[in-house]
Amino acid sequence: MQNWPFWIAGMALGAFVPLFAWGSGKLLGISSGYAEACALHKPAGSERWKLWFALGLPLGGLVAAIVRGGPELASTSATLLENFHVSGSAQYALLALGGALVGYGARTAGGCTSGHSIVGIALGAKSSLVATIGFMIGGFAATWILVALAGGLA
Amino acid sequence: MKPLAFLASGAAFGFLLSMARATDAAAIVGMFRLTDLHLFGVIGSAIATAALGIALLKRSGARTADGQSISLQPKPYHRAVLAGGVIFGVGWGISATCPGTALAQLGEGKLYAVPTILGILLGTWLQQRLARRAAVTSVKVA
Repeated sequence: MQNWPFWIAGMALGAFVPLFAWGSGKLLGISSGYAEACALHKPAGSERWKLWFALGLPLGGLVAAIVRGGPELASTSATLLENFHVSGSAQYALLALGGALVGYGARTAGGCTSGHSIVGIALGAKSSLVATIGFMIGGFAATWILVALAGGLA
Repeated sequence: MKPLAFLASGAAFGFLLSMARATDAAAIVGMFRLTDLHLFGVIGSAIATAALGIALLKRSGARTADGQSISLQPKPYHRAVLAGGVIFGVGWGISATCPGTALAQLGEGKLYAVPTILGILLGTWLQQRLARRAAVTSVKVA
């Protein structure tokens, strides 16, 4: 099976949000699952489910890879970092730096692309709209700066 | 719901993210370079469908399947939301992945998701530490 057209994938992801709320009584989010992972030394509170939800994501990725005839192990990414002729370990360091900004920014903004951009905007939340505008400003800026630094792309 | 049900729900969401190509770094780069608009379509149709579903939930009294009330409280707005969002976005542009898709990538066998995930954990931990210190300082000042 190949990947789905955008509208099937989007409708499935969108329908998942109210279905999950109907089944669990909760609004889904991922970045708070990382916060739970950082709080493992504390007794489990009412937010521990977020960690379980986050731990499920790799299983879903594995199933999707199998459906597509995989999985195949890949150690190099198709990020813009590939256009800088740096060693593999330097690329990994830059990916970790990008990840650190993602984690820091998500917890400052109170959510990520799932909790803010899909769930929050669907709820009509001002905070989620503002956060998503920030996501896009940062994403476009970083991408175009990386493209310029790489001296343009083929 | 029990932990196993949340694990299975997360797996379903991760499967959908992967089938949506949200775990494909080239699709994220293409979105920001405006050369591949697929993910804008995914996000847009996801928001529209989720909004419709939430409206239906509200109309039916915001109750779960077993009659519990559903909290549909939006996230609070504060001054740091925009700045946090921009910081997230810069990281999103650099690593071409976000917190959920990085985890799904790992399951797909993309080993380069490991440094990204470790970085997200580090950033999350750092933010909590600094926020706690700021809270302590402001209490002292007050």
